[in-house]
Amino acid sequence: MLDRLGSSLKDALKKLAGRNVVDRAAVEELVRDLQRALIQSDVNVRLVMQLSQAIKTRAIEEQPPKGTNVREHVLRIVYQELVRLVGSAGEVKLEPQVILMAGLQGSGKTTTTAKLARYFQRKGLKAGVICADTFRPGAYHQLQTLCSRINISCYGDPEEKDALKIVKEGLSASSGTEVVIIDTQGRHALETELIQEIIDINAIARARHRWLVIDAALGQQAAEQARRFHEAIHIDGVIITKMDGTAKGGGALSAVAETGSGIVFIGAGETIEDLERFEPDGFISRLLGMGDLRALVERAGETISTGELDVNAMLRGKFTLRDMYKQLEALNRMGPLKQIMSMLPLGNIELPQDAYDITSTKMQRYRVIMDSMTATELDDPAVIGSSRIHRIAIGAGATMEEVRELLKYHKMMKRALKGVRGGPGKATMQRLMKKFGGA
Amino acid sequence: MFEGLRSRLQKIQGTLERSIQEAAPPANGEERPDADPGQRERNPTLLSKVKVLITDREFLISEKDVEGPLFELEMVLLENDVALPVTEEILQRVRDGLTGKHRKIGDSVEDIVISSLRDALLCVLGDGFDLLAYTRGHEKPVRILFTGVNGTGKTTTVAKVAHFLKKNGFSVVIGAGDTFRAGALEQIDVHAGRLGIKVIQHQPGADPSAVLFDAVEYARAHRIDVVLADTAGRFHNRANLMSQLEKIRRVMKPDLIVYVDEAVAGNDAVVRAQEFERTVGADAVVLTKADMDPKGGAAISIAHTIGKPVMFLGTGQGYDDVIPFSPVQVVDELLGVQA
Repeated sequence: MLDRLGSSLKDALKKLAGRNVVDRAAVEELVRDLQRALIQSDVNVRLVMQLSQAIKTRAIEEQPPKGTNVREHVLRIVYQELVRLVGSAGEVKLEPQVILMAGLQGSGKTTTTAKLARYFQRKGLKAGVICADTFRPGAYHQLQTLCSRINISCYGDPEEKDALKIVKEGLSASSGTEVVIIDTQGRHALETELIQEIIDINAIARARHRWLVIDAALGQQAAEQARRFHEAIHIDGVIITKMDGTAKGGGALSAVAETGSGIVFIGAGETIEDLERFEPDGFISRLLGMGDLRALVERAGETISTGELDVNAMLRGKFTLRDMYKQLEALNRMGPLKQIMSMLPLGNIELPQDAYDITSTKMQRYRVIMDSMTATELDDPAVIGSSRIHRIAIGAGATMEEVRELLKYHKMMKRALKGVRGGPGKATMQRLMKKFGGA
Repeated sequence: MFEGLRSRLQKIQGTLERSIQEAAPPANGEERPDADPGQRERNPTLLSKVKVLITDREFLISEKDVEGPLFELEMVLLENDVALPVTEEILQRVRDGLTGKHRKIGDSVEDIVISSLRDALLCVLGDGFDLLAYTRGHEKPVRILFTGVNGTGKTTTVAKVAHFLKKNGFSVVIGAGDTFRAGALEQIDVHAGRLGIKVIQHQPGADPSAVLFDAVEYARAHRIDVVLADTAGRFHNRANLMSQLEKIRRVMKPDLIVYVDEAVAGNDAVVRAQEFERTVGADAVVLTKADMDPKGGAAISIAHTIGKPVMFLGTGQGYDDVIPFSPVQVVDELLGVQA
């Protein structure tokens, strides 16, 4: 199912490729696929709608930066909006603090508590935990066993029914520890008494952080639950658990939006070490079921900067073979075209692969040919006559035909550029860049 | 439970009834003989009068008549967390059930609306699973294996089901097959102690197949009616854990495999249910934590998408907070029908 979503998204992006202007219909199609992917990943419907509206407006209203094509432009907007949706990682300071864990039943609080203790222990802080779950049978035992494996002190009393008392005593007992993590009983927003209990615990503990633990599989309910928890104890961080399954964790985003906090950690595995700091990019890839969107956007960014330089040079009215060489080089820096294409979320499928191959080979040839030219020839192509062509061809191991073709290509570019100068620019420029790329 | 959805659904019923009522010709049938608004004519022709006479004063409910209320129904379902594909299916069924239906003028509109909504919901919810009847009619001991991913409430469900069976006069033994999670043995011990039920267990880390095999042997020797086998939560994408479950199944030969998942799970519920079904099979489903979702929509979608009969709904933290899932009852309650 996931793969299908990823590929339908790719298809939509593909349709944007090769367009000169941002086409409203194509953007809408892309947004629809994006919506479907996100809703399937349990992202709150309302958030999805906001996101898609933002993407639509920006994609149509914003002008693509110089040197980017439409697809890159839209892709960047999609990425930026997703980053905004996902939010940045919540703050974790390595200093003495009290952390209160909250969450629904079975979301993984106890396991995560032990993992967190381990995390701080590895960072060199003395950590301790308090088991304030007085309800679930075996809860203390579970935490105790997990902690004893890593030599962490665990305060609790399976006989005591008063969670507040345990927290009070636990805090005074753990005066020597730097980081105290309080595990609480699972509760949901409709259990008024339990919500009151956690409000009281929070008041006693005066916790620095109150983190909400969310199961990656939690669906649309996440928003409502998070809102109630936030009202009760002001959640300032979200931990997603069970990311080692196939669930995408979209529900946690509703929690992020409701609490205005960030995701702090991700739990992905059953051993005590399986806790990672949150990293937005990987999370986004997972939500959408497609490759690394960021690497893609960054690569496109690099070419823009080099591209822009060249554009300026060209706009000054002087377009020499040297400029053309620089451009080809810029394209080459991104790696062989074929590899770039496979990195794009377009995938390898159903692409006019031949076209790209031919173009990239041709570009390679052009560079080789230009390497055989003298500086004078590069700066002023007009001096190149048939005897020079002959020499260049021999030097580059090319035929004279190829050299002529290159010169013709340069002449065409130069002519096109003349038309651009002083004109409206961007649109023509884009078409030009595309021609230059040979796509 | 499901209050939100219930009140909205009952309101929709009213709207549907009204709009069909409006579309219908008045009782004497003379002023608006043609019920189809698409060709509604102010001046009835002789021909249309004849038509009415010929069709024996029946009228056809057209799609247009119910469009408005159906859209409203769609919104109600979506707002109450019923997943999109499930909503679409319910709508399609209601539409099919209503439109194109010849209705004699004398028939009660209410009956038509209720029966088509009821049919649609029943269709979506599938069949229930009557554990008591199954246990009664089956060779003892009945071996029931509980599976599911981590933290869905398997152990609690085992305790609740044990309590439920005991209340209904069956003897029960629990096999503590979760030998992995820290504290799991203590947890089931405490539950069983409170309920007065025997638990068969080994040390932490023991082979769950062996534990559960022993539990079955114990039941056989002591003539106990039902063996409830708890297992460790596992993710469906962990091949080793899934093959361990496969081994458990081979060793204890369960009569019923019950898949436990939570009613608040999102889209992943379908993925993992399918995977469990594929590797070890599933005969029935228990949806836990139904009390977290006051709207009840998630439970409906999951019940539908999992495609297995739902046996129980877990609705709280007490041992009595488990209700046998009977689709007819749930639907009747939702629609406010006196059963």
